[in-house]
Amino acid sequence: MDDDALIAAVARRDDTALRELFSRHAPWLAARLRGVLPAAEVEDVLQETFLAVWRGAAGYRPEGVAGGWIWGIARRQAALWLRRRGPAELLLPALIAADGQHPGDPAEAAVSRVELARAVGALGPEGGPARETWRLMYVEDKSVAEVAELMGVSAGTVKSRAHRARRLMRAALRQHDPVSEGGGR
Amino acid sequence: MTGWDEPMSGHREAGPAPGDVDLDRVWLGVAAQVWRRRPGPAERAAGRLLRSPGLARALVTTPSLLLGWVIATVVILLAGAGIALGTGTPWVALLAPAVAAAGIAYAYGPGIDPAWELSQSMAVSDRMVLLVRALAVFGLNAVLGLAASAASGAAAAVTFGWLVPMTAVCALALATATVTKSPNVGVAAGSAGWVIALLSGKAADGQFTAAITDASFVLPYLALAVCCAAVVLFVTRIPRGTR
Amino acid sequence: MNVELTDLNRKFGHTRAVAGVSLEAGPGVFGLLGPNGAGKTSLLRMMATVLPPTSGKLRLLERDPGSYGPRREIRRRLGYLPQNLGYYPGFTVADFVEYFALLKDMPPGQVPRAVAAAIEHVGLGDRARSKLRTLSGGMLRRAGIAQAIVNEPELLLLDEPTAGLDPEQRVSFRALLRDFGQRSTVIVSTHLVEDVAAACTEVMLMDAGRVVFHGTPGELIARGEGHGVGDAPLERGYSAVLAAARS
Repeated sequence: MDDDALIAAVARRDDTALRELFSRHAPWLAARLRGVLPAAEVEDVLQETFLAVWRGAAGYRPEGVAGGWIWGIARRQAALWLRRRGPAELLLPALIAADGQHPGDPAEAAVSRVELARAVGALGPEGGPARETWRLMYVEDKSVAEVAELMGVSAGTVKSRAHRARRLMRAALRQHDPVSEGGGR
Repeated sequence: MTGWDEPMSGHREAGPAPGDVDLDRVWLGVAAQVWRRRPGPAERAAGRLLRSPGLARALVTTPSLLLGWVIATVVILLAGAGIALGTGTPWVALLAPAVAAAGIAYAYGPGIDPAWELSQSMAVSDRMVLLVRALAVFGLNAVLGLAASAASGAAAAVTFGWLVPMTAVCALALATATVTKSPNVGVAAGSAGWVIALLSGKAADGQFTAAITDASFVLPYLALAVCCAAVVLFVTRIPRGTR
Repeated sequence: MNVELTDLNRKFGHTRAVAGVSLEAGPGVFGLLGPNGAGKTSLLRMMATVLPPTSGKLRLLERDPGSYGPRREIRRRLGYLPQNLGYYPGFTVADFVEYFALLKDMPPGQVPRAVAAAIEHVGLGDRARSKLRTLSGGMLRRAGIAQAIVNEPELLLLDEPTAGLDPEQRVSFRALLRDFGQRSTVIVSTHLVEDVAAACTEVMLMDAGRVVFHGTPGELIARGEGHGVGDAPLERGYSAVLAAARS
C-alpha cells in the first residue's frame, strides 16, 4: 500500500495502517528532529505527531507528498514544544533549516526558506540596527559585550535592540505560522 | 523488547533512527491512545461511587454478556411471576430473592461465563462483581418493565411489585458492601431491606397488621430472611471444585 | 521467596488431586511436567488462589491467601492463564486485556499503556482492535497471555500456554518467559517437554498428585540415560522417572 492509501485508511480509523505509516516514517522523522531537539523530546514530539496524524488524516489531500505532510505536522509539534519551553525565535530557524535535509519535498523546503527570508526582512534593511544586532548575536553568535563594541553602543542598547528584533521576528513568523493558521496546509 | 514481530524500528525506508531514540517506546505511547477505550460518564461515575473502576466496568459490561443476562432475566421473571401468583402468604415472596440470586450466580458462573475461572483469580472480588451484575440485571429489567407497564397491567404488577423493589434492594446491598468492604454484609443488608419492604407493604394492605402486632410471627420471618441470605451466600461461595 | 508450599494437599471427594507437595520458588522459570491427571492444574489453581487447599501451608508473595485482604494483594500482583480460557466473543483484544487489567485493580491512568505493551509483547499489535471471535486458537491463547502479563506480575502462572502456537511463536514465547523470569516467578505447566528444556531453570515432574522429580533439566536428562524411552534426552528422563515412580 502506498502512503496515500495508508493515510486514507487511517482516516477510516484503521489502526494497522497507522502502524505501517509509523514503521515507514518514524525513523527518518526521528533523525531529522534529533538535529534540533534532545532525544527524550524527540520521542514526545514523535508521539504527538502520530497522534495528530491519527486525528487529522481526514484532512490530507493526496498529492503524493505524504512525507512532507507528516513532516509538516512534526514541525508544528516541535514548534509547539519549543514555544512552551524557550526562545523559539532562536531555534525555529534551526527547525526550518532542518527541512533542507529531506530530499523528497523541495516545495516544502522552498516555502520554508521564503518564510525565513520574510521574517528576517521584517527586521528592516540590511545594516539597520535591529537586523545587524540580530545577525551579530544570533547568526554569528557573539556576546552582548562584543556586539556593543562592534556597533559602538552600550550593552543596554544592544539588549533592547535584540529584544525588538525578537519581537519583530516573532510577529513575522506568526503571520505564516501553521499553528495559528489552525490546521492543515 | 522481545516480541513476535520485528521491532517497530526495523523498517524498510530511508536510514535508521538515531540510536538514543526509542521508537518502540514511542509507538507504545501512540498505541495506548489509539487503542484505549474511553469510559462513558455513567461508568466514570459508577467507578467513583463504587470506588473501583474494575467494578464499574463489570457493571457496564454485564448486558453485553448476553447469554448470562438472558438466563438471569428468565429466572427473575419466573420468581416475580411466582410472587404475583402467590396467595398472600409471604413465603414465596421471601424466597424469591434467593431464587433470583441463585439464577444470577448460575448465569454468571461456571458453565455459562466463559472466563469464569479467570474471574475467580481477580483482585476485584467475584462476589462484588456478582452483586454489581445483580443490580445491572434487575435495573435493566426494571427499565424494560416500566416501558412494558405502559402497555400491560400484568407487566406493571411484576414491575412495581418485584423488579423495582429488587433493584432498590440490590442497590442497597451494593452500597453497603462498598462501604463495609464486605459483599457478605451487603447481602445481609439487602435481604433485611427486602423483608422490611415486604412487611411494610403487607402492613399497608392491612393483611398483616396481625403479623406485626402478633410477636409469634416475627421470629419466623427473621429466620426466613436469614435463610435467604444463607442460600445466597452458599450459592455464591468459591469454589466449584472441578479438576 | 515468592512461592512457599509446605505439604500441600487437595482432595475432591475421595480423590487426592495433590498429595503432599512442597516447593519453594524465587524468581526464575519453573516447569511443571506430568501426564494428564497428575495434579498440575489443581496445583496451579491453588497458587492462583482460585482453589483453597484441603490441608498444608501456602504462602504466596510473602502473604497468606487464606484471608481476604492479603489474598487481594496477592491477586493484584498475580498473572494467571487457565488451561481453558474462555473469552467474550464480542470483545476486541484491547477490550479483553483492559477488562482484566481493571479487575486486577491497576490504576486506571496506567492501564492504556500497560495494555498496549502487553498486546505488543505477544505480537498481537496488528489485531488489537479485532474482535476475539475473528481470532485463531493460537491468537486467542496469546491474548490470554497478554492479560496475564498486563500488570507486570510478580507471580506468573501459565497452564498449557503454548497450546495452538506454531513453532516460531513458541520460540518467541520462550523468550518472553525468560524475560519475565529475570524478575518474577514464572510457573509453566505443560506436557510439551521441549518447552521446558528451552526456557526453564527448574523442573518438577508430577504423577498422581505427587512430586516424583524436582531438579534442573540437566538432572532430568541424566535420569534418562540408558533407561528412558523417547526421542529426546529430556523425554527419556521424563519416562524413566515416571516408570520408576510407578513401579
